[in-house]
Amino acid sequence: MAIIETANLTYTYPGSTRSSLQDVTIEIKKGEFVVLTGPSGCGKTTLCRCFNGLVPHFYGGELQGDVTVTGLNVTQQAICDLAQHVGLVFQSPENQLFALSVEKDVAFGLENLGIPRDEIQKRVDWALRMTGITNIRERAPHELSGGQQQRVAIACVLAMQPDVMILDEPTSFLDPVGAQKIFDVISRLNKDLGITTILVEHRLDLAGKFANHVIVMDEGKVMLDGEPRGIFTSEDARLIGVGIPKATRLYQVLREKGVSLKRIPMNPEEAARSLREVLTLD
Amino acid sequence: MSVFEGFKFRRVYSPIHQLDPRVKFFYVLAIFVIAIMFNQLLPLILLFLIQLPFVFIAGVQREWIRSLRGALLFATMIFVFNFVFTYFWTEYPLLPSPSLLEHSIAMTLRFIVLVESFSVFFLTTSPDHLGLALEQSHVPYEFCFAFTTAVRFVPVLAEEAQTIMDAQKARGLELERGNFIKKVKNYIPVLIPLIVSAIRRSLELAEAMESRAWGATKKRTNLYVLRMKRGDYVLILISATILILAAYFWIFYREQIPLLSSLLIPLRLAAA
Ligand SMILES: Nc1ncnc2c1ncn2[C@@H]1O[C@H](COP(=O)(O)OP(=O)(O)OP(=O)(O)O)[C@@H](O)[C@H]1O
Ligand SMILES: [Mg+2]
Repeated sequence: MAIIETANLTYTYPGSTRSSLQDVTIEIKKGEFVVLTGPSGCGKTTLCRCFNGLVPHFYGGELQGDVTVTGLNVTQQAICDLAQHVGLVFQSPENQLFALSVEKDVAFGLENLGIPRDEIQKRVDWALRMTGITNIRERAPHELSGGQQQRVAIACVLAMQPDVMILDEPTSFLDPVGAQKIFDVISRLNKDLGITTILVEHRLDLAGKFANHVIVMDEGKVMLDGEPRGIFTSEDARLIGVGIPKATRLYQVLREKGVSLKRIPMNPEEAARSLREVLTLD
Repeated sequence: MSVFEGFKFRRVYSPIHQLDPRVKFFYVLAIFVIAIMFNQLLPLILLFLIQLPFVFIAGVQREWIRSLRGALLFATMIFVFNFVFTYFWTEYPLLPSPSLLEHSIAMTLRFIVLVESFSVFFLTTSPDHLGLALEQSHVPYEFCFAFTTAVRFVPVLAEEAQTIMDAQKARGLELERGNFIKKVKNYIPVLIPLIVSAIRRSLELAEAMESRAWGATKKRTNLYVLRMKRGDYVLILISATILILAAYFWIFYREQIPLLSSLLIPLRLAAA
């Protein structure tokens, strides 16, 4: 069942002469883990904004085509109504936290919805637990590390119990270890709670293995859309400049040299297993 | 570090910190009104002393002394002006006498008492609580939100200003050179990037707020509520008692409040 659908979506920011999205038609199914990637400026953030109504309601501009999210037509819904179904985590963790304590920040969305206080308390506790930050609930945002801030941002969105969670380069300010931890949190939410997840990411080495659907964009268009192993090994992906996982790249190089592995590896563990198979065959 | 150290509210848990900000504000107002009612030294000294227990129970002595030190320059000015102007400009000039000295000291102390009470209030009230108190006093939520968000971003902007200053210095900008006008001009290359980035930041902030259902309903709920506890009622009682006593003395004995110097002189005579 499709939870997000776009049909011939074309969008131009106000005052801009070029369309940032051109004829985008995609379908995302319930429970999927989608990795959205592509070179800088290709329109990934813009597409995410279409999913929760920031485009066109917040930004204005000209939108053609259809966007449907959880059965709602985005152009006809207010952002605050869409916010209950779609959570958006932004790139910079600092600018999406505005309260003076973690707890209060996580409660912000629920307060806006007018949910009763004991219910808010329950959901805040739950969101903090799911993201593993219960121990810092009373801290102020400026007392937190970047990774902690980003987890708070995820908890803020999670507390609203969205059907879809969109994360726009959530780890670009983090080191690889911090990034790994964030990805683990996201992946767990996707697996355990079945939240449909859309992750915008360049570093596919870390994120690629979680994906079961990859969308590659370039210059406002969707270039590749499908199953990750197929896309990572395609020549097009490499030409567009997608940061293919190194394990998958190794597979390609070996194939060019005449060594073919049985399966396409997505991470070092899989690569090691496939290599061992080949080696014992010889 | 030092630039924004002072902006960070230190989270401490003392009985004073736990009090309802509205009640604390009532207390500050009471002190304020009394300080304005009397211009004699004796009641003002009492007023100064009454507040000391609050400072010590809250455990904010160090910060409190720092804020008083900050008021020192202004206090000195008030003292000098009072001394000089009362001497020259009144129709029946008071001679430089113990009573003139006492009057000037009293005016200075009045200022210090005001600073003292406000600093106790702000040192022991978390901005979070203050925002909540505003909200529960029916101030529109937009204002309360603007207030807490401003407090939230002060350390961020201070840090950013420091970064920009360092960056511009690395490019050869000299901030401390020239006369006053020149110095102010020197800060333009710091201010402009700071303003631009603050605007960009505010746009991102607005986007994040929208994405979290800002304005979904008129009837917002709140994770925290302020509830009056026993301590709050005690403080109301204390404030009201002080206020009533002060009013009583002001109505009936205003003219009879002795000068401190007149009390001291007989003592000295007795000693001699
Ligand atoms: N607010 C805006 N107003 C006008 N044009 C914009 C705006 N935001 C983005 N654009 C333009 O839209 C195009 C797509 O930008 P977008 O931010 O969606 O790219 P992106 O894929 O997210 O890039 P990055 O990886 O750098 O985040 C770019 O050409 C950009 O210049
Ligand atoms: Mg982007």
